[in-house]
Amino acid sequence: MNRSLALGGGALDGADTRRRRRLAVGLVLVLLLGGLAGLATGSDGLSLRALWADLQGPDTLLLIGHIRAPRTLGAALVGALLGLAGALAQGLFRNPLADPYLLGSAAGAGLGVVLVLAAASAGGAAVGLAGLAWLERLGLVGAAFVGALGGVALTLSLARGAAHTLRLLLAGVVVGVMAGAVSDLLTVAAPEALRGKQAFLLGSTSFLGWPALALLAVGLLLLLTVVGRFARALDALTLGDDSAASLGLDLPRLRLVLVLVLSAATALAVSQAGLVAFVGLVAPHLVRRAAPGPHGWLVLASTAMGAALLMLADVLSRALVAPQELPVGVVTGVLGGAYLVWLLKQRGAR
Amino acid sequence: MRPALAAEALRVRLGGHEVLRGITLALGGGWTALVGPNGAGKSTLLRALAGLQTPSGGTVRLQGRDLAGVSAAERAHHIAWLAQLGDVTGELSVRETVALGRIARLGLLGTPGPADGAAVAQAMALTECRDWGARRLHELSGGERQRVLLARVLATEAPLLLLDEPTTHLDAPHQRALARLFRRLAHDTAAPRSVLTVLHDLPIALRADRLLVLDAGTLQADGPPSDPGVQAALARVFGHAIHIDTDAAGRPRVALALDDD
Amino acid sequence: MRRWFCTWLGGLLLASGAALAQPVEVHDDLGQALRLERPPQRIVSLLPSLTESVAALGAGARLVGVDRYSNWPPEVAALPRLGGIDDAQIEALVRLKPDVVLASSAARSLERLEALGVPVLRLKSDSHADVRRSLALLAQLLGTPVEGERVWARIEAQLAAAQVRVPAALRGRSVYFEIGGGPYAAGTGSFIGQTLARLGMANAVPAELGPFPKLNPEYVVRARPEIVMGALREQPALRARPGWQAVPALREGRLCGFDDAGYELLIRPGPRLGEGAALIADCLQRLGTGAAR
Repeated sequence: MNRSLALGGGALDGADTRRRRRLAVGLVLVLLLGGLAGLATGSDGLSLRALWADLQGPDTLLLIGHIRAPRTLGAALVGALLGLAGALAQGLFRNPLADPYLLGSAAGAGLGVVLVLAAASAGGAAVGLAGLAWLERLGLVGAAFVGALGGVALTLSLARGAAHTLRLLLAGVVVGVMAGAVSDLLTVAAPEALRGKQAFLLGSTSFLGWPALALLAVGLLLLLTVVGRFARALDALTLGDDSAASLGLDLPRLRLVLVLVLSAATALAVSQAGLVAFVGLVAPHLVRRAAPGPHGWLVLASTAMGAALLMLADVLSRALVAPQELPVGVVTGVLGGAYLVWLLKQRGAR
Repeated sequence: MRPALAAEALRVRLGGHEVLRGITLALGGGWTALVGPNGAGKSTLLRALAGLQTPSGGTVRLQGRDLAGVSAAERAHHIAWLAQLGDVTGELSVRETVALGRIARLGLLGTPGPADGAAVAQAMALTECRDWGARRLHELSGGERQRVLLARVLATEAPLLLLDEPTTHLDAPHQRALARLFRRLAHDTAAPRSVLTVLHDLPIALRADRLLVLDAGTLQADGPPSDPGVQAALARVFGHAIHIDTDAAGRPRVALALDDD
Repeated sequence: MRRWFCTWLGGLLLASGAALAQPVEVHDDLGQALRLERPPQRIVSLLPSLTESVAALGAGARLVGVDRYSNWPPEVAALPRLGGIDDAQIEALVRLKPDVVLASSAARSLERLEALGVPVLRLKSDSHADVRRSLALLAQLLGTPVEGERVWARIEAQLAAAQVRVPAALRGRSVYFEIGGGPYAAGTGSFIGQTLARLGMANAVPAELGPFPKLNPEYVVRARPEIVMGALREQPALRARPGWQAVPALREGRLCGFDDAGYELLIRPGPRLGEGAALIADCLQRLGTGAAR
C-alpha cells in the first residue's frame, strides 16, 4: 500500500527513507514490547517474573487470555483508530493542532452516554418498559457510537456540508458547546448519571474484551482501506484549495468522505474507551517530527503511533498505582500535556 | 481551428462588485501575457478561464464546449493553473510536491509508472530544481518555492497553462530563464502548449507572442507587442507612467517614465 | 398540694426555657468555633446526611432550606432547594435568614456566606465515627445534647439486630461492594466497609487501598469475592466483563443488588446507617437459604 501511495516510486531520497524506516522499526518494537508489558501487568503491577509464574499457574487462560490480552490489544486498536483520525483531522484542517474531537464527535458521544444513564436512572416511569429494554440492549457503547455520529451529522448540517473548513470548525465548536450544555442540564436533573458520565469523560480501557476487539479490528481495517484511496487527496490539499481543485479533485465530496471516515474512527474508539485525551493530537505530531512525508505514510505511521501510545498509557495506568488503576485518559492527558508544554518551550527558545 | 480556450462575454461578480465586465477572447497557441494595473481583474480572469470561478454571465469554452459542463477530472487533463499566492503548507519534499501534478493525469487511484517519473523529472529539469528533490518546501526561499510550484504545473503535461504571476519572486537570471521556457513550451514542435501568464513584469511581457491589456474589468487591447495600438493602450492604462519605444533590434522596450524634477 | 405542683411545673418550665435560651458554642470539623446566642431556629442544610441528622434529632421543623439532593424525610420535599455542594445559591440562601448553615467539610464555595455574616458549620461524614460525632455536635447545637447519644444508641441497636440476622454460613465471607462503574470499590475503611465489618463480613478490598479505590478489574477476579454487592441496575453487566465469569460470587449467583432507594440509603453516611445494615442483612438472609453448600 505504501508504494502505490508514495508517488514517484523508488525516487525517494535516502535520508527520508532512512528516517521512515527507523520510525517504522521503532514503532514495531514498541508495539511488541508494549504488548509484552501489557501481558505482564497484572493487579500487582508490571512484573515479568509474575508473568512467568502466571503462565505456569492454573489461571493462565483466565488472567492472560481473558483479561490482559484483549485489554492490551484493545488499547492498541483504540489508539490506532485515534491516531488515524488525528492524522486525517490534521490533514483536513491543515493544522498541526487539530484533533479528531473537533467536529462534535466527543460532545455527541458524551451526550449520548448521559442520555442513556439519565433515562435508566429515571427508571420505567419516564421511559417505559419497552424503552428501558431497548436502552439496555443499546448499552453505553451503542449510545456513545450513535451520539458521536449524531454530533458530526449536526456539525455537517450546521456547516452545510464539508465545503469550507472554517465553517466546519465553527460548527463543531457550536455543537460541542450545545451538547455539553444539554449534558450538564441532564446531570443536574439526574445526578446519578454524573458518575457514569465522569468515567466516560476520563476514558477507560478497563473492560475491553474479545467482542469489543473484533469490532475494533474490523472497523480499523475497513477504514484504513478507504483512507488508502484518499491519502493522495490530503497531499493535494496542502497546495491550497484552488490548486487542488485545478488538479481535478472534487473537493466538497472528498472532504465529506474524509469527515465521515474521521468520524467513524472516532466514534468507534470513543464508544469503547470513552474520551481518551491527546492521542489523536500527539500521534501524528510525533510522526511528523520524526519522519515527515506524504499522507500515505503519515496516516499509517500515525495509526501505529497511536496504538503504541495508548498501549503504553494503558500499561502505565495499571502499573503505577497497582492494584488501583488510573483512568487511562488521565495518563494520556498528563503525558500529552507535558509534550505540548515541551513543544512550546522549544518554540520559544528558537 | 477551434480555439483551445475561449471566453464569450464573460462577466464575474465578486462581493457585489463587478470585476469582469464582458470579456471576449480566444486562446489558440503561443505565449500570451495578460497585463494591467492592480485591481484590473487579471487573477479573476485567469481563475474563470481555469474553471475555478463560476461566471455570473457569459461562458468559458474549452474546445468549443461549455467549461461549466466539463467535469473537474476531465478539465484537469486540459488545463493546469498556477496560483499567484502560495497557500502551500510546505511539509512535502520538492519531488513529492512536483509529483502531485500527476494527479491530473492519474486521478487519486492510478498507480504511477515510469512515464510519470519521467514527467516529474523533466518538469524539475525545466525549472532548474532537479537537485532539490529531497528538500522540504518550507526550507526554500520564496523564489525557489515558486519554481517548484511551476514544476508541479508542468508535470501535469496539460496543453493549456494558466500561470498567475510565475516570475514575481525571481531574480533576473531566473526571470530570463522562465521567459525563455515559456517561449519554448509555446513553440515546442512535439507538444506545443498554450501559455497564458499574468505578469507584472512588463519587460518580460513584451517578449510574449501576444499581449492582453486589461483595465477595470475590460479588455483594452489584444495583439502582438509590436502593434502600436497595443503599445498605446498599455501606456494609457498605466497612466502614462511607462514609456515604450523600440530597441536596436526592433523589439519593443519599456521603461518607467520618471520625470526630471 | 396544687400549689406545690404549679411551682414545680413552673420551675421546670423556667429551667427548660432557660436551657433552651442558653448560648451554644461548638467547634466544627474544620476547627472553627461557632457561637450562637441561642440554639438556631432556622437551619439550612447543604448535605443530605446532615438534613437527615437534624430530622432524626427531632428538629426537622427548624429546617428552612436544603440542598438539591436531600430527600429524607419526605417533608423536606416542600422546602426550597438551594443547589449542591459547589453551587449553593447564595442569594436565595441568605434571603431565608438562616441562623446556621450546615455543610460538608468538602464544600468550597461558602466563604461568600461567611463574609455575609452567615454562620457556617462544616462537618465530615465519611465514617461511622463521623456520624456519631456529627449527631453529638448537632444535638449540642440544637440545645438538646442528650438526643445525640439517644439517636446513636438506636443506630447501634439496629446494627446489632442486623448482625444477628446474618446467616452463620455466610459470616466472615468476603464481600466486594461496588460503587458505580469504574470499578470503584468500597474498601474496609469506608463507612460501607465499616458497616460490613460490623455485620461480621470480610472485605475483598483491604484497608491500605483507601476508602474508595478505583481498582484494576483483574484484582477483583483474583480476590475471588464470595458475595458481590452493588446497585441492582449495574449487576446484569457484571458477568459480561472479561474474566468475571470466573468470580465465585457471579458463578454461584451470590449477588446483592440494591434498588435505587436502597442504594442511595447505603451510600449516605447518616442516621439511617442502621437501616442500611438491615438492608444488607435482608439480602444476606435471602442468600443464606441457598448457601448451605
